[in-house]
This record gives sequence, C-alpha cells and structure tokens, in this order.
Amino acid sequence: MDRIFLVTTETCIACGKCELACAFAHGSQTRPSKSRINIFRRGPEQGTPVVCLQCHEAACEAACPTRALVRNEETGAIDMVRERCIQCRLCVAACPFGNMLWDERWHCVQKCDLCGGEPRCVPFCPTDSLQYVPADRVTPPRGAVPEDSMKTGEGT
Amino acid sequence: MPTVTVDGKAVEVPEGTFVLEAARKAGIHIPTLCHHEALEPWGGCRLCVVDVTKEGWDGWCKLVVACLFPVEDGLIVHTATERIIETRTVVLDLLLARCPDTPLIRKLAREHGIRKTTFEVNPEPTDCILCGLCTRVCDHIGVSAISAANRGVGREIAPPFMEDGPPDCTGCLSCAEICPTDHIKYRASMQSRTIWGKTFDMVRCPTCGRAHITKEQAAFEARRGKVPESYFEYCDACKRKKTAQTIDGLSRTG
Repeated sequence: MDRIFLVTTETCIACGKCELACAFAHGSQTRPSKSRINIFRRGPEQGTPVVCLQCHEAACEAACPTRALVRNEETGAIDMVRERCIQCRLCVAACPFGNMLWDERWHCVQKCDLCGGEPRCVPFCPTDSLQYVPADRVTPPRGAVPEDSMKTGEGT
Repeated sequence: MPTVTVDGKAVEVPEGTFVLEAARKAGIHIPTLCHHEALEPWGGCRLCVVDVTKEGWDGWCKLVVACLFPVEDGLIVHTATERIIETRTVVLDLLLARCPDTPLIRKLAREHGIRKTTFEVNPEPTDCILCGLCTRVCDHIGVSAISAANRGVGREIAPPFMEDGPPDCTGCLSCAEICPTDHIKYRASMQSRTIWGKTFDMVRCPTCGRAHITKEQAAFEARRGKVPESYFEYCDACKRKKTAQTIDGLSRTG
C-alpha cells in the first residue's frame, strides 16, 4: 500500500460530482443515493465528504464470518469478495462510521473499493478535495488529533 | 503443485483444492446448486458430477462429485461426457418432479433438454430443493437455529420440533438471502422483521427511529465481538452523519 485516499474537507464545495461519478462507475446509474461516497452538506457550498476509511484494524473485516472482506495489498482498500458474501449484514452493523452500505435493490453490501486502484471520484473533484496520492507526500495535520475524537465505544 | 487436466485444459492448483475449483480456474463451467464459496463443500445436490481418470487406469473412469474430490497430480477430469450429461439429467429430472414450478430448476432442466419431468410430479409442489445452504450458513455463523428434519421423502428444513419461532434464531435473514430458490420467506420493513414464524423486537435508532437490527442479533454480535450492546444502537445512515460531524469538529479545532 503506497498510496492513500486523502480527503480535505475544508475545500469541499459540496458540488456532488464525486457522488455522481461513484454511482455511475459502479453501475447503479447516476443516482447519488447509490453512491459509496456521500457529502454531508453543512451550508451553501460547504460539505463534508464521507467515504470508507479503509481502517487499519477494520471492524467490518473482523465481523465478517466468511472472510468476504479482505485487504487488497496493492490498493490498500478492503475489498468485498462477492462470491463469499452471505448477506448477513454484520459488517453494516459493525462499521462504527456507517460506511458499509446496504443496497436494498440488489441485496448486497456496497463499500468503497477505491475502484481497484483508480478512484473514479478523484478526477471529477474540481477543488482537489479528494486526492489519491503517494503516502509519503501526505503531511499529517497540524496539532495532535485528540485521542478520543474517533472513539467508537458507548453508542457512537 | 499438482497439475490436473480438465476437458483437455491443463491447470495447476494448490494441494488440497477440489476438482470444482480447479475446473473453474480452467474456465470450465460445472453446474451446482448446493455450492457456496463461503461454506464448506457438502456434495448434496449431485449436480457437479464429473468423471475422473488417470494415465494407466486403462480408460476406466470414476464418477465423483467435483466439489468434494481433492485434486491429485496427473488427474484427468471429464465434465461433459455422455455419461455425465445423462447423470446430471436424471438428477435434474428428479428435482423437477419435486419442484415443478421453481424457476431456477425449470431453467436448469431446460438447459439440459428437459421440459417435463418423466417421473410422477410431486402432489405437494415445493420450492425447497434441500440443498442445505440455509442450515449450513446458520451453522457457519454459529447460531444453528434451523436444521433438516426427518429422512427420505419426508425430509424438510424446519425449526426445532417443527414449531414456529425457533428460539435461537437471531433474525439475520442469511438463510433467506442464500436460498437459491427463494423458498424461505420473510417480511422486513423499517419497523419489524418476521422469519420462520417469529416476529422480532427491533433495535430502533435513537435519531431517526429506523429499526435496523434485531435485538437478538445485537445481543449475539455483542457477545461475539466483545462489545457492549449499545454499539449497535445507531443505524448506518445516522452513524455516517455522526462521522461527518466528527470530521467537521476535528477540522475546525485542528
């Protein structure tokens, strides 16, 4: 894994192009509701894109009873092996960030797979809020991130 | 690694692989009904029968089920000889007699040239082909709420003592989702879930009120994952919203 998916929320203008590109790339027509990346709008031209974090020790991977979720060493994404999925939806319940999406139409779980190493949302982002860059070129954010900021314990 | 020849195509597979997997690797289609990648092979439907032979067997062939026969070096597999096609046709003929109205079985039978079964049609048509996928998936998850009951023609998939509402069922719906013929019926809405004659109490998301998981499933998963039951309190959509809010908070303070 030498590249990471970098999201810069400050520059997101909530245009929704990433949602359309994602929905289109994954064959569910251009319906933003079927996208694996979603923008939460918090004001005019202000949004927070939320997409699978491809966690290091992923809850979905641990919860899956059939090892249908496996890390793709090449892209760094956690890939869904459809043949092994038994649609038990445990990963949907286990993901603390709500990034495993249940598709009621096709009865399967949808998750971001970084499009196999070429995320389709990235070239459509007009402000470069979404980038897929070499990991060593990313500078960590200024100031320490509070340790419990992403705490997933009691009811979060 | 052993090399096997499937219908004339040589393919190298790891030790312990079964013939079905080797055939699929060679790009040869073998029909199956009871096979699932996530579960242990079972050999229930007998649709994946193939002929295996070896150099020096004087043309003698052995009829085996591909999903359960481990590969050996130098194995020669025939998947579409006359004998195989005939065996498969008989299996499908029998299945069609049991399930005359099931779309999947009718389609498979039609592909093998059967439009009408030559056996006597089941007076009580069913969609269940007894492939055992539902009971195996339930066992695999670790719940084992349903199982096969009785033997012979009376065999069926049922909750313990044939009573509605199996006590161990957590309402995960995996059995219904995996059923190849959609025989297992369930009702799921934003408020409740019913399967095997059991209506489940649901965990309701405190923010949007959607019932997203059954209480039994939350309890089972909490035990298995060693997390508190409140871990499953919020639905996925609300968890996502919370993630966005958390990221916002972080980027403002950072």
